[in-house]
Amino acid sequence: MKNLKITSVLIILAMISGFNVSAQLTGLQIIEKVYNRPTGNDQSSNLTMTLINAQGKQRVRKLTQYLTDNGTLEKKIMFFTAPADVKGTSFMNWSYSNGKPDDQWIYLPALKKIKRISSDSKGDYFMGSDFTYDDLGDRHPSQDTHKLLREETVNGVKCYVVQSIPKDEDYMYSKTITWINKATFIGVKKEFYDEDGDLLKIMHVNSSKKINGIIVVTKITMQNKQKNHKTIMSLSNVKINSGIPETKFTERMMMRGI
Amino acid sequence: MSKILIKLLKSPWVIIGATIVITIMFFFVMKDNSRMETDLNKYMPAANPAFIYSDKAEQIFGIKDGIIVAVENQDGIFNTETLDTLKQLTKALQKMKQINKDDVTSLYTADNIVGGEDGLDVKRFYKRVPKTQAKLDTLRKNVRSNEMVYGRMVSENEKVAIVVAEIGDDVFSQEFYYEILDLAKRFQTDKIKIHVAGRPIVEGEMALLGPKDMKKMVPIVILVIALVLFLILRSVKSTLLTLGVVFFSTIWAFGLMALLKIPIYAVSTMIPVMLIAIGVAYSVHLYNHLQLFINQNPEATKNEAVVDMIKAMWKPVMMAAVTTAVGFISLLTSQVYPIKYFGLFTAFGVAVAWILSVIFIPAGIMAFGLPKRRQVKERNDNDSFLYKFADKVLKRKSLTIIITAVIVVLSIFGMQKIWINSSFLDKFEKDSDIVMTDKFINENFGGTTMLNLILDAGKNPDAFKNPKLLSLTDEMQKKVVKDLKVVGNSFSLADFIDRMNKVMHADNDKFNTIPDSKNMIAQYLLLYEMSGDPENLNKVVNYDYTKLNVTFQLKSDNSKAINSALAILKTYEKDFKKYGVTMNYAGSGYKGLVFTDLILEGQVMSLILSLLIVVLLLALMFKSFKAGLLGSVPIVITALISFGIMGFLNIPLNTTTALLSSIAVGIGIDYAVHFIEQYKNYAKETNHNMLLTAKKTMSNSGRAIIYNAIVVIVGFMVLLFSVFPPNRELGALVSLNMFTSFAGTLTILLVLLSITKMYSKKDKEKK
Repeated sequence: MKNLKITSVLIILAMISGFNVSAQLTGLQIIEKVYNRPTGNDQSSNLTMTLINAQGKQRVRKLTQYLTDNGTLEKKIMFFTAPADVKGTSFMNWSYSNGKPDDQWIYLPALKKIKRISSDSKGDYFMGSDFTYDDLGDRHPSQDTHKLLREETVNGVKCYVVQSIPKDEDYMYSKTITWINKATFIGVKKEFYDEDGDLLKIMHVNSSKKINGIIVVTKITMQNKQKNHKTIMSLSNVKINSGIPETKFTERMMMRGI
Repeated sequence: MSKILIKLLKSPWVIIGATIVITIMFFFVMKDNSRMETDLNKYMPAANPAFIYSDKAEQIFGIKDGIIVAVENQDGIFNTETLDTLKQLTKALQKMKQINKDDVTSLYTADNIVGGEDGLDVKRFYKRVPKTQAKLDTLRKNVRSNEMVYGRMVSENEKVAIVVAEIGDDVFSQEFYYEILDLAKRFQTDKIKIHVAGRPIVEGEMALLGPKDMKKMVPIVILVIALVLFLILRSVKSTLLTLGVVFFSTIWAFGLMALLKIPIYAVSTMIPVMLIAIGVAYSVHLYNHLQLFINQNPEATKNEAVVDMIKAMWKPVMMAAVTTAVGFISLLTSQVYPIKYFGLFTAFGVAVAWILSVIFIPAGIMAFGLPKRRQVKERNDNDSFLYKFADKVLKRKSLTIIITAVIVVLSIFGMQKIWINSSFLDKFEKDSDIVMTDKFINENFGGTTMLNLILDAGKNPDAFKNPKLLSLTDEMQKKVVKDLKVVGNSFSLADFIDRMNKVMHADNDKFNTIPDSKNMIAQYLLLYEMSGDPENLNKVVNYDYTKLNVTFQLKSDNSKAINSALAILKTYEKDFKKYGVTMNYAGSGYKGLVFTDLILEGQVMSLILSLLIVVLLLALMFKSFKAGLLGSVPIVITALISFGIMGFLNIPLNTTTALLSSIAVGIGIDYAVHFIEQYKNYAKETNHNMLLTAKKTMSNSGRAIIYNAIVVIVGFMVLLFSVFPPNRELGALVSLNMFTSFAGTLTILLVLLSITKMYSKKDKEKK
């Protein structure tokens, strides 16, 4: 009887504490859950990047990309397949988790030469799109101060709304606000505010797909509100954990092509 | 008509009261609703094809006018202090709420793409201000080897660096201008000087300075006119009533403008000038007649005197007013809205001045009594100066004709030298801050005036990845810069490709050219987008590579400079046509040029039109085509002399000076109308004694004309002391026009009337 009592108290306590854990999930904890969500060890896909300017004109670029991540080093190689005049152009990026600057290479088939690119700015826009390299990569949760603002339903999806303010005052954004799906911990929407605190960009996740048990975002739109410019990235033919060999990520492969 | 006017005399106070009430109403409407238009783009006819294209191109490429803030250090700019000033100044401008952050460029914001044997380095020139000599030297080396900044952002003597802040059309205001100047002053030290220039500054200054100066000068003009009026009319009452007419008509015109919600444009500030010059005339003629009547009939009551004045003068005053108003209404043919409005509201003001002259002045005389009889010596008519003058003129007809002919020929000769100038800068004093700063920046950099050439390949995507087209563009740019001293620099997609090609070949200068493979160009462009700021590319080429924006920097904004560049560019038209590429132009410098041409074209058209209408009206009024033709002679001569003198004195035609030809018509025709009308009446009165007719007309109408001319000439001479050169030109040319109109009427018109035997017995018998 006593045991039962204790057990039931423990159960109740556990339930209460359990409730407390989910109710008290902090902004940092939410962002950490997003950051630690499994993404697989490697991924390959066809990427279509559509840039739309203020006049509604489009530039469409198609690439095939391969990515591998061993936890400390993320390697990425991309081959342009369209438009025809840049076909065969390839780009490789090695990103280190220890804060060392990325290594980047570019191969121009018309020049038949590989060039290393060293750039001092991670804020550079990715291939003329509205995404910066930073927007595409995973930003470590410790770089920002996070705060859970509220919970909200967006398009029928229950979301956490988290505000993140960078610790580095010179960072290109003064803050970001992210809507995160409470069930899957996938970002649904994100707002980026510029140095003056004005809304700069809005990112929307348009679709995602479960592949090999891992949820992959397959279509994403970034809209620059100040320049009225938009980029849509969509992935097709996505393969996860297909065992891409390390040898894929070499200068030789860049020149050889897909 | 005269019956109504005479009836109105019975209730002078009602008329005076009504006039004042209406004026007060208009005054309050004006006070509450008047708005000065300072956005120069609002002056342009938006529907004109050249402007439509230019506006479209400006939108595609984000072509905006830039404010240039120059940082000067005589010891050179490559030291910590100056570089820090440059950085802080750039940041301060980026933070201003009227300026987009991305629209501010300087050495601090610029990317430096450098190529090595196996690498490509994309770096800012500096982010943290370099503090060691070694770092400063590296920066200097980087700047010198980058054609995209050397000579563009940093002067070649390395003593000046600039920050360019591009602003939208609607941003400039007086407060903004002062904010910028304040900002500049804050960064000034003993060693570092800051200069502010650029077209928005020039446009802004002009939009502010012209009307401001007018506001200061017009009261003085009115004061001087009042003084001279008093000396001539010898009566405070008459002077005040005359000024009242001019003053009320101006308020009514601006009140109506405000009522119709039409803003005040820069040209509208000339309306008071026009109304003063024209409105004074009606009263002077009325009073002149009145004075004559009183002198001849000392016993007459004020009623008799005023009735006589109305009976004798209502018709010529009306004819003068109608012809003048029509002259201004002809400006409605102009494509430029501010000019249309100028014509319309001046015509309205003229009509008001006329109505008030024949209603308000008689009412005033009835209410306040006749002016004092002038204490003149008993005139022996035959001895009077004007009698003698008429006599002399008629005795030496051929001399008058010869002199007129010589003047006409000389004027036509002088007119050949007239040139059109759309320059804004030339409107300022040569030693003004704004001109000196502009000169300083032009000496150190490519130029402050931008001419945008838009190469358009129609619907042929990727046209401008074609190496041949880019090479041709490159060649054209180099030729213009080499051949014309006034063109300091040029910039286009070709420069980017040149630079990328050089960078990808380890910074080897031999490769500072356009490669001959289309794929290579496409790949360079992709590489630039990946490594540089893609926004930079959007300023030189559109999204589907069908349009190219080639910018030329000119050291002068005057029409001669812009036209010299256009002339060379046009020689490439054929070459580009082979590729299906057409040439168009955009940007404020070009629009200014087109705008000025439009105004002048319209001005010439409306001048011819108004002349034709005036001849017809005169012919109708005098029921004689001959009278119409003769009446137009003083106007034509006035216009010719006006243009001729501008040619000789190297005064270019611009919007202000061109509008002055309207005044020639407006005033010249009044004089002729009065003169012919009186000539006709005296001919009847003297039973066609033509010599006596001439003498009497000269004595009566001639005197009024001389008085009128003196009042306005002296009044406008005041403008010669203006600080704003266009206002000085205005004063000089109005005075000149008044003088030639009156001289022409009293000499050649009289001679022609005499030669053609107008209103002589023979003339009468013929009919």
